[in-house]
Amino acid sequence: MNKINVNMIVNGEAVSVTVEPNARLLDTLRDNLELTGTKEGCGVGECGACTVIVNGEAVNSCMLLAASMEGKVIETIEGLAGENGELHILQEKFVEHSALQCGFCTPGFVMSSKAFLDANDNPTREEIKTAISGNLCRCTGYSQIIDAVEDAAKDYYVYDVCRIKK
Amino acid sequence: MVKKHGRRVDVLAKITGKAQYTNDLSFPHMLYATTVRCPHPHAKIISIEREQAEQYPGVVMVITADNIPGIPSQYKQKPILVPEVVRYEGEGVALVVANSKVVASEAAKLVKVIYEELPAVTSSEAALKQDAQKIYDDGNLLCKYKGGKGNVEEGFLMADYIFEKEYRTQRVDHTPLETEAAVAVPTTEGITVYAPTNDAYKARLLIAETLGLRENQVRFITPAIGGSFGAKNYDAGLLGSRAALAAVLTGKPVKMVFTREESIIEGTKRHPYICKYKVGVTKAGRITAMEIDLIGDGGAYLSKSHPVATRTLIEASGPYNIDNVKSNVTLAFTNNTYSDAMRGFGSPQVDFASEVLLDEIACEMGFDPLEFKKMNHLKENDISGVGQVMTDVSLGKCLDEAQKASNWKERKEEIAIERKKGGSKVKGIGFALLHRGEAFGAAGQGIDTAEVQLLVNNDGGITILSSMADVGMGGHTMMVNVIMETLGVKRERIVMAPVDTQYVPNSGPSSATRGTMVIGNAARLAAEEVKEKLAAIAADVLGVLKEELIFNNEQIYSPGKADEHVNYQDMINEIFARGQTPSGRGWYTVSGLAWDRANGFGEAYLSYAYGAAVTEVEVDLETGQVSVDKFIAVHDVGHAFDKNEVIGQINGGVSMAVGMALFEDVDSKKGHIKNTNFDKYLIPTSLDMPEMNSIVVEVPTKTGPFGARGLGEPTACTAAPAIINAIYDATGIRIRELPASLETMMQELKNSRNKTGLN
Amino acid sequence: MFKYDYLRPASVKEACELLALHGDRAKIIAGGTDLMVQIRDEDKKWANIEYVIDIGHLKEMKYIKEDGDSICIGALSSHTDIVKSGILQKYVPFFCEASSTVGSPQIRNMGTIGGSIGNASPASDPVPPLIALDAEVKIVGTSGERIVSLKSIFANSYKTTLKVDEIITEVSFTKMPTEAKSVFLKLGRRKALAISRMNVGVIVVVDSDGVVSDIRIAPGCIFATPDRVSVAEDVLIGKVPTRELLVEAGKKVSDEMINRTGIRPSTEFKKPAIESLTTRALSQALEVE
Repeated sequence: MNKINVNMIVNGEAVSVTVEPNARLLDTLRDNLELTGTKEGCGVGECGACTVIVNGEAVNSCMLLAASMEGKVIETIEGLAGENGELHILQEKFVEHSALQCGFCTPGFVMSSKAFLDANDNPTREEIKTAISGNLCRCTGYSQIIDAVEDAAKDYYVYDVCRIKK
Repeated sequence: MVKKHGRRVDVLAKITGKAQYTNDLSFPHMLYATTVRCPHPHAKIISIEREQAEQYPGVVMVITADNIPGIPSQYKQKPILVPEVVRYEGEGVALVVANSKVVASEAAKLVKVIYEELPAVTSSEAALKQDAQKIYDDGNLLCKYKGGKGNVEEGFLMADYIFEKEYRTQRVDHTPLETEAAVAVPTTEGITVYAPTNDAYKARLLIAETLGLRENQVRFITPAIGGSFGAKNYDAGLLGSRAALAAVLTGKPVKMVFTREESIIEGTKRHPYICKYKVGVTKAGRITAMEIDLIGDGGAYLSKSHPVATRTLIEASGPYNIDNVKSNVTLAFTNNTYSDAMRGFGSPQVDFASEVLLDEIACEMGFDPLEFKKMNHLKENDISGVGQVMTDVSLGKCLDEAQKASNWKERKEEIAIERKKGGSKVKGIGFALLHRGEAFGAAGQGIDTAEVQLLVNNDGGITILSSMADVGMGGHTMMVNVIMETLGVKRERIVMAPVDTQYVPNSGPSSATRGTMVIGNAARLAAEEVKEKLAAIAADVLGVLKEELIFNNEQIYSPGKADEHVNYQDMINEIFARGQTPSGRGWYTVSGLAWDRANGFGEAYLSYAYGAAVTEVEVDLETGQVSVDKFIAVHDVGHAFDKNEVIGQINGGVSMAVGMALFEDVDSKKGHIKNTNFDKYLIPTSLDMPEMNSIVVEVPTKTGPFGARGLGEPTACTAAPAIINAIYDATGIRIRELPASLETMMQELKNSRNKTGLN
Repeated sequence: MFKYDYLRPASVKEACELLALHGDRAKIIAGGTDLMVQIRDEDKKWANIEYVIDIGHLKEMKYIKEDGDSICIGALSSHTDIVKSGILQKYVPFFCEASSTVGSPQIRNMGTIGGSIGNASPASDPVPPLIALDAEVKIVGTSGERIVSLKSIFANSYKTTLKVDEIITEVSFTKMPTEAKSVFLKLGRRKALAISRMNVGVIVVVDSDGVVSDIRIAPGCIFATPDRVSVAEDVLIGKVPTRELLVEAGKKVSDEMINRTGIRPSTEFKKPAIESLTTRALSQALEVE
């Protein structure tokens, strides 16, 4: 099988990787780029633990071929905190609201929430529930995750503007 | 008083994606191993042909039970690899070790195993029949216990009404989001194994037994754990042992990670139960006698079936004051995946039965279910179903809180009026009450212990040494809080050492809701020892009795005098200056329970947790769909170290029980599991969860640290019965077998229409 | 694990040529939400696979536009594109509703309408509304393009009549009059990430006398290949709708299910469920209590 060279932007940096034609984006992120914050919980797009953002949209990285990522812009949990380690507003709010327990599903939830708030910073609670409905959590019962996203949304616009200015 | 001490100790690593779970680890020259599985639920291994797989490019070794240097398992426990007889479908019979995951799984298909199929027994009832196919030479009886008090025959004579009901619970999978995983690295001294487990010492023991090593030749390290709920006990030891075996035999680091399918096929499950009740009640609504017969499916191996059986025996009569109780529990071996504790250790099964049972009786007799339970529940110093004098009983308080928050009576009437208006969707309201013994208690081997050490440094920093696994419940944070409250020091001073059996003492498993009660007390005792050392010097300096000193705000105060104090750091310096150490050690033992095992009578648990729940559901009469709209969960935690975390525990437990009530069901007819991933094994999503109102009650116990009670498991016990009771309120149909799936609901709705003659 | 080479054609034409060249050893991938799962499960269907032809990047197949009386949707439009489309929201809200119930937000971002059609799952959510709309598909192959009815391309469950070198490039349908009312209802085991246990799309047009002048009933999950149920539509066409007629139409749908697929163990559940779902969808569309 012929390996494929893929050029993409991952967390703001241009990367070029050579992948097996059947490698999933998830494997490439974890094994080639050592971005192990993205998790695998089912391998069939049902749990959302592998959620990353590709060109602004939340997707399951277990269902995407790495080879198809040519020219795409990819965001993972590792790219969220600022350069000096300051947390993204969603991360702060997850912490504040005790929105994580075992933490395995957490990166996926944060990425789904980020893609959602990036497009809609004035959501209803129902919209938030739908936005995270592709992510399974076995620990929290979701309530505090919804609270965290709702709370983050309140300051999201200002936060986003400040971040872009920086 | 609710105190909030800030965020959990592991939160920064987890929220940034930096927390390292087992699958995130890798080592130079690491190999990957895959399990070769038996496709039959019961079969004798005739031969295993490895050659073809061994010749596959990239394969390093094929391993079978013959290669195990130690023992494959203790008697009737699940073997690391099956030596002779496979007892459930999907069991591991060989390992393929290769230079990549892909090669290992491809080559696994080339291992040819010849089996002689044996008849399979796949239900507890079938297994217990006289002529059933034997799964073990001495038959299929796993265990049988009896218990109770008084005389039920006399009790039934005093009753005006007799009720007989039967309930069934299903096979449920724990499905923590992280599947089982292990990485083993050979060392000159032995082996180092990384795996997520709720009990590092027990996993280490299993690995040592497999390899024929002394326990301390196995260094077991627990990385971040992606949930357990009881799943990562035997299964973690199993996978750790397989990886360790492969690493020892190849001399290279070996990684094994289960796919979700492997986890569901081979991993432990919650015991399915059949619960038969006969109850006597007077016209006034007083329960005079309860006779209970429980039958559980233990699956193919022992695991912790004995303590699960004992707990169900003790708790089956519910949190009620009944003079005459007789219970029997029988667990059977079957050719199903082995059963083990799952968030509740048997409680969710019997709580479902007893809480629906009392609801049924109340409704049939014309009582309000909540009032009926209020009338019969245990009060302070009442005697439990197995003869224990109950103290620190907060059922009344929990019930009142639930009643108040739900506005029960008015809301029930309001909903009833709404229902009379007709329509295809109807609402209902349901109630459930809860008592649950803490820690192992009588269900264990009588003794439950934990050790915790505190290493105090020159700069006053404190490192906690404990093997306690934080499976997600925040147990490490709990310990930090206990130490802070005991010593009055800042949060920043305390760190948690990694769970590494080479350094940390044995604190026992994170199971049976023993973390706060048993390990928390060991942490408290360790902190008390440090405090004692600080106090000895502070008392000297301040000229007061050391017992009177107050530790707060990094200071040690004279009683009642805010300006007379010494500094924590100065006292630490002074201890070192005197050539002493401020470090401390705590050892906590639960023992001395007067439990008569043969008769199932006496002190079952040192303490109990209590709770109550009210839920509102909406049932679509035309499609059978049930929507859980609101849930009020009241739990007495004795003392909340961090209220947000407590609420998170409650919400999470409720979500698991929503799944148990409505759709979770391991579809395993004839021993073959059909739903092996999240596309078919359905757990609740954010949209399936009700609006939660979790209410924290704090009635302290005499036993827990700062009066705290455990919480993890009680939270998963009330939702299933409350939801089923609410479905009854909405529709008049009574679901006695879980889950209330679309098909079950449609069938029951149809039956009820036929019965009432309505269409 | 299946091994295959990854091909990335620069155009639809090139993709068809690759298909013609490699035959059943090649498979088209767009969103990947079905194919990646089937490949992971080592589905026998793809046992011969040697090539995956990625068309996901072909922007020329990602559009939603009005074309006179028609609406045309490029096959690579994602379910999210469909949910968010102002044009579709305006003319065929039930199609948007159906698309919004596919899988999860992530799956809706990845999965494409062309893929949903091509996968030919009987439990598809977006297909019943398209069947109700009498949609057509544009199919491109090495010998040119053809336009056929959507219904005609389904051969059986998970099987289409597409030739080996063909790709679905567009789905289109005639706009319904603005007074048309459409409803999509779905019954799943849970509220998200649920494969339909049963679903139905209906459209109705009622004239000024209150008479049903057009009606389409397209149930999902109950036939091997999707279809409108004309015997059920006949109950209402030309009539002033009443509760009784709606119930009758529902019964016709379940009769038709039994006619076509026979009585199965699941019939006991499916029969009353599809009746209720159909009746409910009609009652919402016709505003009949």
